[in-house]
Amino acid sequence: MNNLKTLKYVLVAALMVGFTSCDSLLDDVEPSTSVSAEVVLTSEEGVDALRASMYSKIRENFGFTTEYFIGPSAFADETRNRPGSTRYQALTVATGTSGGTAHLNNWGLYEIIQDANLIIGAVEPSVFEDPATLDLYRGEALALRAFAMHTMVRVYGYEPGNFSVGPQANWNAGIVIRTEPVLDLSDADTRARSTVGEVYTQILNDLSDAKTLLAGENADNRYVTEAFVDALSARVNLYAGNWAAAASAAQDAINNFPGTLVDTQTGVAEMFDERSGNHPEAIFKVVVNSDTENTTGGGSFANNGPATYTADGFLAQLPTQFLLDKYDAADYRLGWYEDCTTTQLNPLTQPTNCTGVNTNGLVSVKFGGEKGNSVDDMPMIRLAEMYLIRAEALAKDANSPAAGVTPLQTLMTARNAGTVPATALTDMTAFEDYILDERMRELGVEGHRFWDLKRLARDVRNPDGSIKMRADSYRILAEIGSGLRNVNDLLVENPGYAE
Amino acid sequence: MFKKLLFTVFALLLSASAFAQSGTLTGQVTDAETGEPLIGATVYIESLNKGAQSNIDGNYTISGIDAGTYTVSYRYVGYETVSRSVEIGSGTVTLDIQLSVDVVGLDELVVSGYAVQQKREITGSISTISSDEFENVSLQSTEALLQGRAAGVNITTTSGNPGGAFKVNIRGNGSINAATEPLYIVDGVQISFAQTSSQASTTPLNAINPGDIESIEVLKDAASAAIYGAQAAAGVVIITTKNGTAGPTRITARAETGVRSLARNVDYINSEEYVRYMGEGLAINNGVTDVSADGADISSFEDTYRNFFLGFFGADPDSDPNDPQLANTDWQDFIFSEGVTQKYNVSASGGNSSTNFLLSGGYEDTEGTAFGSDFTRLNLRTNIDHDMTDKLRASVRLNISRATQTGVCQDGNFINCPPSQAMFEAPMSFPYLADGSYNPNTRFGLSTNPAVVKNEVDRNNTVTQVLSALKLQYQANDWLSFSGSANIDYRNTQDEQYRSAVAAPAQNGWISFANRNVENYQGNLVANATRTFDGVHAVSGFVGTEFRSDYSESQLTRGDGLPGPFFQVLSATSTPTTAAGINSQWKQASYFGNAKYTYDEKYILNVVARYDGNSRFGEDTRWGFFPSVSVGWIISEEDFLDIEAIDQLKLRAGYGTTGNSAIGNFASRGLYSASGSYLGSTGLRPNQLANANLGWEEAQEINIGLDYELFEGRIFGSIDAYQKDNTQLLFDRPLPSSSGYDDITENIGEVRNTGIEFEINTVNVAAAGFRWQSRFNVAFTDNEILELPNGTPIDEDDLFESLQEGKPIGLIQVVRWAGVNPADGRPMWYDADGNITYTPTNSVDAVEYKDGVANVTGGFGNTISYKGFSADAFLQFSFGQWAFPGTDYYFTRTPDFLMNLSTEVNKRWTAPGDITHYPRAMTAGTDFAETANYRTQLSTGSIYNTSYIRLKNVSLNYDLPDRFTQSLGLNNVRLFASAVNLVTWTAWPWYDPEVAADTDDIYGNEVYASYPTERQVNAGIEIQF
Repeated sequence: MNNLKTLKYVLVAALMVGFTSCDSLLDDVEPSTSVSAEVVLTSEEGVDALRASMYSKIRENFGFTTEYFIGPSAFADETRNRPGSTRYQALTVATGTSGGTAHLNNWGLYEIIQDANLIIGAVEPSVFEDPATLDLYRGEALALRAFAMHTMVRVYGYEPGNFSVGPQANWNAGIVIRTEPVLDLSDADTRARSTVGEVYTQILNDLSDAKTLLAGENADNRYVTEAFVDALSARVNLYAGNWAAAASAAQDAINNFPGTLVDTQTGVAEMFDERSGNHPEAIFKVVVNSDTENTTGGGSFANNGPATYTADGFLAQLPTQFLLDKYDAADYRLGWYEDCTTTQLNPLTQPTNCTGVNTNGLVSVKFGGEKGNSVDDMPMIRLAEMYLIRAEALAKDANSPAAGVTPLQTLMTARNAGTVPATALTDMTAFEDYILDERMRELGVEGHRFWDLKRLARDVRNPDGSIKMRADSYRILAEIGSGLRNVNDLLVENPGYAE
Repeated sequence: MFKKLLFTVFALLLSASAFAQSGTLTGQVTDAETGEPLIGATVYIESLNKGAQSNIDGNYTISGIDAGTYTVSYRYVGYETVSRSVEIGSGTVTLDIQLSVDVVGLDELVVSGYAVQQKREITGSISTISSDEFENVSLQSTEALLQGRAAGVNITTTSGNPGGAFKVNIRGNGSINAATEPLYIVDGVQISFAQTSSQASTTPLNAINPGDIESIEVLKDAASAAIYGAQAAAGVVIITTKNGTAGPTRITARAETGVRSLARNVDYINSEEYVRYMGEGLAINNGVTDVSADGADISSFEDTYRNFFLGFFGADPDSDPNDPQLANTDWQDFIFSEGVTQKYNVSASGGNSSTNFLLSGGYEDTEGTAFGSDFTRLNLRTNIDHDMTDKLRASVRLNISRATQTGVCQDGNFINCPPSQAMFEAPMSFPYLADGSYNPNTRFGLSTNPAVVKNEVDRNNTVTQVLSALKLQYQANDWLSFSGSANIDYRNTQDEQYRSAVAAPAQNGWISFANRNVENYQGNLVANATRTFDGVHAVSGFVGTEFRSDYSESQLTRGDGLPGPFFQVLSATSTPTTAAGINSQWKQASYFGNAKYTYDEKYILNVVARYDGNSRFGEDTRWGFFPSVSVGWIISEEDFLDIEAIDQLKLRAGYGTTGNSAIGNFASRGLYSASGSYLGSTGLRPNQLANANLGWEEAQEINIGLDYELFEGRIFGSIDAYQKDNTQLLFDRPLPSSSGYDDITENIGEVRNTGIEFEINTVNVAAAGFRWQSRFNVAFTDNEILELPNGTPIDEDDLFESLQEGKPIGLIQVVRWAGVNPADGRPMWYDADGNITYTPTNSVDAVEYKDGVANVTGGFGNTISYKGFSADAFLQFSFGQWAFPGTDYYFTRTPDFLMNLSTEVNKRWTAPGDITHYPRAMTAGTDFAETANYRTQLSTGSIYNTSYIRLKNVSLNYDLPDRFTQSLGLNNVRLFASAVNLVTWTAWPWYDPEVAADTDDIYGNEVYASYPTERQVNAGIEIQF
């Protein structure tokens, strides 16, 4: 009897141990919206999805949307706050001597490089039924990596040739170069900033490789094309002072891009309107689905998009009279400015005090939110810029304004902007002044003004002409900041900021 | 429902069979101390399942007792139960009984996890709150009941809407990136907090009707909580519901109703004051130097703004169209109004020697103050214990509930949330035009006009929850028993939202629907042994094993485009826009054991250990071992401590380790997640690097405590001191951002919490039927980060969320406010060197100011009773926490957004020489030349002390005299009134000094418009049949 009892207890004890003894009870738990690296990198569908992520990150990253397009205008003299509005107020009031840190920070573009590096370095061609597909994807990834690096390096470093413009002589620190995929923790090492020279070399090498891989791919400007690689190459070489290379790349872009300059009044005015013109000059256009891809999630408006900063929603950054005064009355491009009381498609704010920024209370409608929910497609690089780059580069390469007149005039003719005035051709300084003005007319509120002034070592001024930031101010470069430096102690701070 | 319940109750009553008449037992039950008769005491002969209740004179009679010897028990709420052996013959036996007040002392039973212990044997730190303390407190959830009542348990309202969530913090924030919420266990069921509604602040504990709760135990230190091992690092809250006691069936019906109102309003300036303010600002901008009442005439500047406002907001619809005037709307009045609450409960309990039961049904409907907000709960509880044989006992605890929260967008700076709209809509704005249509010119236009939000938006959340535990217990012999439990926590949440075409013009109206499920199952087996050797060596313990699987899922759908206001179903929409769904799961397997040795009822040694495996961690590190050891010494049992005043004195000390695994279910894996999309293709992107070595976060805690009971139980309580070090934190270590990854979760870092807790209960007066009792608890806590990765600060310059070694979590770093320049009314700050500056830079000039840690918290309660009357008042307090009132500061201190303006602006600078805290009037925060934006440049002047003392609860009870109730055939009738949040004393000038952004806010130093705390005043009646 007693034995039976003992047996009973042993059985119960065994049951208890058996109840949870299997470690395997803890298995079979899988996430529903995530998968492992192997699944992504070794299947065609996985790599397709990784590529979609890479493109998606462009529209998701503030540094490649509003900061890219509107920031350089607010930071310089093309836009100012409508009184009572606050978006980008810090940029508009930042000066070259105050201790503030407002700047066009976009260190976050590394998240695009992250996807690009995986496509470039962690995928085997055999994944694809047609191994050539991977070449195209790699070409796109190389170009977007170059694009991200150039967009970042101009924030944190001086352009080649400008290293002694700032408060510290020969300051040539650029950004961190990372070209290998980060597959595990050991790959996520800390690195020092490479020099600007090294960064530009990497960018140009990437673009060169991309051009080879994308040769002849120009049909769909919603993805990276050969023309985009040419266009970016033109821009990078212009910043680097490689005039001949810039001019020739710009010409390649013009040749490879299927479209031409728009030359009608309506066509120009509606160029940025997705309901009509739909970006005929966009060499690379990031397309955004207004129902599902807003920055704040599907369904509600794009709270942080370029439109809500300019023509819609908050009507915060309005074109300055200084910018509007650059145009002749017949210039087709005046169609890009509309009365602030009537432009809003998704009103959040009563459009008041617009005349506080310009005489007629106008807003720029390059980003008008026409797709609904304050959403716009984003023309990352436009054909017109190629003519401007080519004009500037040809003139500077030849050290003669006359050499740059043809492409400049081509653009101006298309825009009904008259002829290049003789006063612009008296010397190279006058020509550069004129190019800068033409760039404002053409590329205003499209992401260029501050960078143009910076690369040409010009002072940044307020619309009234007063100095905002001298070219030699430490504030021309952005702060790296303690947040980044605490994580990566190899990063050195730019001069003038607190260590 | 009520009918059904009654029927069930009657059926149970009928099952008690009648007995042949024989002898009679009679007598009187009185209070041992005062001699007063006790009315309604239960007298019960268990073996016969026969009983009676004492009448108004304390007299009782049980007739029809067969001859024999019986054990008779005498029970009365709040008094010690007495059992007597009585021999009944054929006549009448008279037995008068005196009952003594049951001081909740060391003989109390304490539920401490998998076992019930006598409080005298407890060697860890456990706070117990019994139902007596909160029986008339009208609150919706358990967390609310606990607030202020247990030392070291700091509870903060995150949202004042009825049914809203609480941040519960036991002994400080130990974790930084993993959860700091305690583990909740209701009748053995571990509650899941996954997949709660996204539309309303809510808590799964809303499923429990507070009236059903018998006691709440909080396991605070590692020695007591280690039995729950890996889930216990933030403490454990054990909720035990009432069960039946043997005796005649007792039916209690309770009804109450009341009013709910805002606990406090904020003062904003009116339209004319607004015009004056703006006029002053404009005048100064135009060169006027003195804008005081005695200064320059600035009426033209005022007119400029009056006209501007008339254009911007429109004219008051009640004013003469030929003489348009500004509106002067009190938006708080429009948005908040009194709500009505009604609550009904019916319960039946009783039982016999083999079966005890409690059946309880409750219904509550409480309207919040913000328009449209409402909480309802319908719950049914069945608690049954039944001895199937003399060795096998089955227990069932079943609670089924359906709770709804309708209402509004609640918390946060959203332009469509009424609580923030109360700040966002200026007095010049108004809801309706003269013709009754919506005013399109409210601050953010028609679709967010508060009247549109009120009438054109519906939000309904419905939670259906089943909490059930089935337990079988087998008593193998007199020292060994086995038990097994199967527990279910199932919760379905449905979030519906409807916006008409007026509220969502871009989509022509839309409807969304979210369905969320939680399937949280647990099972355990426990073997329990208790033996005493040689009369002095008491050995007891248990070993057990447990498995838990917690699965949750959600599906979200939305359709845009409605044909009109006729339908509110997805099928009526023209365009489906959202179809999303996710699921997630974690599992845990455990072994645990406890061994206790007591020598001569003086010396206690208690060892607890738990071995847990969790699917969240890597295969090599998923198992963790969590041991604890504690000792107790009952000093009062020693011969040398023969002091009459000391009833009991126990010294205890414990040390142990608990774990925390409350991170993402897949935090150890390398993951690519579905995120982003381009041209119709969904993106898959790397979002998490693998860390195969990820393991448990551990908390090591040492606790020393003293339990005391003095002067025959008139004073009792405890003192505890602890040091708790959370080590190997589940920490999101930042990675170089050039890697593309933000961080990786690693076991790194250490946080220390230290504190002292003090609880005392006293019987101040007990004479001639009058009784006055007090209870007081206070906890002092300190928080410090001991270690961070590489010792480097995280977000070093962040104003509110920087993490630095040697500093508390929640450190506030702002520049110092230097006041207003008397010459020109400009705001001034100090730079790092202490010099006046107009353009400070946070990263350079900020100082370490205050922190969001409430260092001193507690509560103080008093109960007075006299005959049938009793009154209770409970105060709760919190000191030491400072915070930034985000919404109020950014939007109501300057007119940048033309929202409300706080009355703080009335103390502004108006003329040279004025010494003020508020600068001159401004048309925008940027008005000051060469000066930082007054609105956005935060400083010590923007940080407010949240300390408060709150009269949390007052209740009054009156038991009607027996002569009255008896004539109605009732056992007892009680009238009661209660109030919640009646008065708050605080220097915090905004809605609510309880600052917690959400339930896992560890910083506690920032708050954005949240649903304000509400006051509730109720009255009701309770009838016992």
